[in-house]
Amino acid sequence: MKKVLEGSHAVAEAVRLAKVQVISAYPITPQTHIVEILSDYVTTGKMDAKYLRVESEHSCMAALIGAQSSGVRTFTATSSQGLALMHELLHWASGARLPIVMAEVNRALAPGWNIWNDQTDSLAQRDTGWMQLYCEDGQEVLDTTIQAYRLAEIVNLPAMVVLDAFYLSHTYEPVDVPDQDEVDRFLPTYEPAFILDTKHPYSLSPLVTPNAYMEMRYDIAMAMDDALEQFDRVEDEFAKIFDRRYGAVEAIDCEGADIVFVTSGTVTSTGRLLLEELRPRGEKVGVLKIKLFRPFPVEAVRRALGKAKKVVVIDRNFSFGASGIFAQEVRAAICNVPGHPPVFGYIAGLGGRDITVKLLEEIYFDVKGSSAPRKESIWVGLQEVNRAT
Amino acid sequence: MEAELGLKKNLYMPRTSVTTESNKTGSWRFLRPRYEEKTSPCSTACPAGEDIARIEMLITQGAFKEAWETILRENPLPGVCGRVCYHPCEGNCNRREFDTSIAVHTMERFLADTAARNETKPVLERLPPKGKGVAIIGSGPAGLAAAWFLNMLGYDSEIFEAMPEAGGLLRWGIPAYRLPAAVLSNEIARIENQGVRIRLSETVSASRFEELKTSYDAVFLGCGYWRNIALNIPGESGSGVEDGLSFLKQLRQGAKPDVRGVSAVIGGGNTAIDVARSIIRLGGRAVIVYRRRREDMPAFDEEIISALEEGVELRELLAPVQIAAQGSDCILTLQQMKVEGRDRDGRGRIAADGTSPVEISVQRVFVATGAAAAETWHEPPPAETAGHHTAPLTPHLPLHLSHCTLHQEQQGTPIIYGGDLTNTSKNVTQAIASGKQAAMALDTFFQSGAGTIRERLSGCLVGEGPSLSMEIYMHGPRKERKTHIVSHQEINTDYFQFEPRVIQPRLLIEERTSSFDEIELKISANTAMREAGRCFNCGICNDCDNCYLFCPDVCILRGRDMTERHIDYDYCKGCGLCVVECPRNAMTLGEEEKL
Amino acid sequence: MQLDALDKELMCSGHVGCPGCGATIAMRFVLKALGEKTVMVLPACCWSVIAGPFPQSSLKIPVIHTAFETGGATASGVRAALDMKGDTETTVITWAGDGGTFDIGFQALSGAVERNEDFIYACYDNEAYMNTGIQRSSSTPYGAWTTTTTGADWKKLRKKNIVEALVAHRIPYAATANIAFPEDLIRKVKKAKAIRGSKFLHIYASCPTGWRIPSEMSIKIARMAVQTNIFPLYEVENGVNYTINYKPKEYLVREYFKLQGRFRHLKDTDLDQIQEMVNEDWGLLLRKAGEHA
Repeated sequence: MKKVLEGSHAVAEAVRLAKVQVISAYPITPQTHIVEILSDYVTTGKMDAKYLRVESEHSCMAALIGAQSSGVRTFTATSSQGLALMHELLHWASGARLPIVMAEVNRALAPGWNIWNDQTDSLAQRDTGWMQLYCEDGQEVLDTTIQAYRLAEIVNLPAMVVLDAFYLSHTYEPVDVPDQDEVDRFLPTYEPAFILDTKHPYSLSPLVTPNAYMEMRYDIAMAMDDALEQFDRVEDEFAKIFDRRYGAVEAIDCEGADIVFVTSGTVTSTGRLLLEELRPRGEKVGVLKIKLFRPFPVEAVRRALGKAKKVVVIDRNFSFGASGIFAQEVRAAICNVPGHPPVFGYIAGLGGRDITVKLLEEIYFDVKGSSAPRKESIWVGLQEVNRAT
Repeated sequence: MEAELGLKKNLYMPRTSVTTESNKTGSWRFLRPRYEEKTSPCSTACPAGEDIARIEMLITQGAFKEAWETILRENPLPGVCGRVCYHPCEGNCNRREFDTSIAVHTMERFLADTAARNETKPVLERLPPKGKGVAIIGSGPAGLAAAWFLNMLGYDSEIFEAMPEAGGLLRWGIPAYRLPAAVLSNEIARIENQGVRIRLSETVSASRFEELKTSYDAVFLGCGYWRNIALNIPGESGSGVEDGLSFLKQLRQGAKPDVRGVSAVIGGGNTAIDVARSIIRLGGRAVIVYRRRREDMPAFDEEIISALEEGVELRELLAPVQIAAQGSDCILTLQQMKVEGRDRDGRGRIAADGTSPVEISVQRVFVATGAAAAETWHEPPPAETAGHHTAPLTPHLPLHLSHCTLHQEQQGTPIIYGGDLTNTSKNVTQAIASGKQAAMALDTFFQSGAGTIRERLSGCLVGEGPSLSMEIYMHGPRKERKTHIVSHQEINTDYFQFEPRVIQPRLLIEERTSSFDEIELKISANTAMREAGRCFNCGICNDCDNCYLFCPDVCILRGRDMTERHIDYDYCKGCGLCVVECPRNAMTLGEEEKL
Repeated sequence: MQLDALDKELMCSGHVGCPGCGATIAMRFVLKALGEKTVMVLPACCWSVIAGPFPQSSLKIPVIHTAFETGGATASGVRAALDMKGDTETTVITWAGDGGTFDIGFQALSGAVERNEDFIYACYDNEAYMNTGIQRSSSTPYGAWTTTTTGADWKKLRKKNIVEALVAHRIPYAATANIAFPEDLIRKVKKAKAIRGSKFLHIYASCPTGWRIPSEMSIKIARMAVQTNIFPLYEVENGVNYTINYKPKEYLVREYFKLQGRFRHLKDTDLDQIQEMVNEDWGLLLRKAGEHA
């Protein structure tokens, strides 16, 4: 059934449809709409779940680890500072092989206080062993959240469904909310691989010596690799029922494109508008949307960028002392391909500043006019500042 | 395996599948705890070497029969000793340093009375018959004990008693208010039921003694001291002067002599007290005249106190000089004495104080200043002259032990002298100790010769001795016990609360002085269990389970009945908690054995 | 002493606790009282190690090891999941040291008990960060040496009164317990198990290694802590009803302090001051319990 929903509501609908049993959350803007609705669902009986109104994000994730270890499907949503506080437990969740699903609304980190869109919060968690799926619109948010459970429970790794603050979380769009029985066909009842069980009293996450630690890490690495393949299967199954698929990456007009923009999140939609603007003018430009950031779809990225002459990466994030994070990943993915195109890294839209079609167009012509990147990262749209004040 | 444990996928993850029991943490240990029972101070003080700590433990558990049998292994007369023993055990009780000693004698009497009331038959170990017979002369405590223990060791023992009833001094020399006849008879009946024969009204003369030597494999002489020692003063054989022992004997035979007026009792021993207290019960007045001070009196202190309570008068530091008849009265002339320094035995040395003698007028005088062997052949060969004996000596003989003397002339029948004939302290429990020592000595003599007796017996000491344990001699479980005597400091008193000692119910003074009824009354089983529960059970395990409970390494293993305990040295790290938390010092922490 | 508890052992031999470890004794008693239908949440503490390295476990109940500061939160999640599965029989217990309770885990604990989550939070208190090598915690008592309060810098601040902090949350049940008083400890654990909502047990667990005491003195010292009123045994129901379980005779704290290497530097005047502090705390407790000294 088509509904006009906020991105946040789309997440909540997906969580309801996934029959999540334990929800734990701590309020942080701009994630609050998600958990407010879920709280209401639990209170009004629309969901048969426990809602733990914990006292911090740290406790939130700890509670989910406890709950998921006891054999139930869990969910939380957070953002920015909350995610940063959770950081320690992100490692615990993946190391303990728990298929927890979390919605993460990309918001800038303080200081100064900034509640607006920025990807650095989630990208800073890239080494925690969580899968990360960046969404472009409300429908994708809903679909991806449901898919995330399926995928996480297959590979026994947690998954983060990432959506841009306000651009997506607070934007109303028409969303097709599937029926419960359709979702049930796609997402079976949760069958945990292991649980805390008084009949089989083993311990979870004990001390592990150098004798075994590395092999356990390797097992997670292999699970991440497997997730790349499982992602496609899950999409296939999803498509059979819902006739929608997104791909780990989506190559938009990349065939024959000289310059390919690499985007993620809602910037992809801006990229689509850029194509509408430039293609009719004969510019050979394409857009590669990266949805799956962890595991990073290296082969798909190589295939999509193999024939491009130049690659432009738009990063709404920054790794200080290095570069935009997507740019790093793209460079790393293609660097071993002989004759790979140069990668132009652009930093834009930090802290919720708009990334407009016009801005992308400026970047396009800047790249077109350059034979090689002037710098590793070019910050665009910077204003003059008065440092004296 | 994985599926069974509920892991549905082949994840290699931090999740356990086995216990830590493959870590043998015993390799950490450098101190090694062990169960090691030790000796309680009370048991070493008991002349009979009774296993008191264990007896009290069994009472606490309500195992009255087992407790009673535990006494019987060391002492055939708990009913008697529970009443008349001077209970040195209580004076050595570690609990004295905490609050007050355990009423051991009350517990002993309780067990004997309970067994008597229920007509309990003891089940005791007895060695296979040796095919040897021992004649025992005298059925007093020494003779009864010798017969009892020899029987246990597999000998046929036969007692010859001159009187028509058995018991010796117990029957004739102790008043009924201290030891009712039925109690004694009950004990003797049990001894007979165990297989000891008692031939009553058979006086053994010197010639009969010679016959016994030929018809038995050994003879035990326990005829006691029945001859009153003379005062050697003028007038002592005159009318109105009687000997104390004979007086007591008359009473036990049913006579009710006229003791109207005042009777003087000369002496400071238990017999003097018994005589004086009996006079009170017969309606007379009694004045004990003693040449030393009260603290020098050999009588048991509790007896003296009771006597004074009942109205007996005590006059100290007065030595009799002369007795003269004056009509139906006696004039007793007494010399006032004074204390000058100390005698070898620690008592004050006395001497006449130089004043003129005083005279007191009484209706009669009882002499109770001590007794001696009735016949010279009752006396053991003196130690000093043994070397000058003309006959060829059996090596090592005569053997003078602490409580008996073993002799054998020219490879003849071995003779053992015991009881009052050899004991320094002349009382019931020492006599029992004598009978026990004689039985052990004789058995060892037959098993391995006279030369091995001292060594064999020294291995049967309770603690450092001199008390001996028949259970140890017979290789019973008590043999495992260490001779170390547990001190108060070695008790973990955190596990004990202050609790008052049982108050022994007694007859009122008025009731006491008007009859020969037993003074001390029975106590209930509950009272006995509560009193026994006060016992520290020094050095022995009472299954309190502290070792098991406090073990941080779960390495105290218990048997199915929860009593047998073992330390699992595979895991024990030697922390020592079990040893420190053992309330009773039944465990020891030692150096780990060097590998 | 016969305990009203399981004969079966839910703790195994072969664990790597130090000789005489009070925390292992505490664990053994608590598990005997709780039985097999128990899930344990184990944040970082000595027991993270004692419970055994992979693939071993020294506990025969399911255990979830978790981050240092998450004892209250993880238990909340386990309880929520069990409730969702209709399992109301299984007890959830968090087993944390003093660091994980008084310090880093205090927020999650406070949060959980404020929500009145149905679980037992047991803090075995060995009065410092022992697992990391005897560093000072807010549970370290006044006067103690630790590796971060050395020499003249011995701790000159009071130990946090954690039970009173929990009582302030008005939880259904909070109690102190001590390894030297197993009957009392087991009774309290069983009582806690029977009550719905948040229960807090503060269990005194001596540490021979960190306190510089001989291993065999572990229980003796623990007992003395109660006998001297340094660690009174009491329980509080619903944040208001105080019951003092043991009223010692007038033992002096001096004896307790003299036996422990961690207090060796204290002078008589320091001990006098500590005695006054203990007397003051005891008086305060008596007043709360409505009793007179």
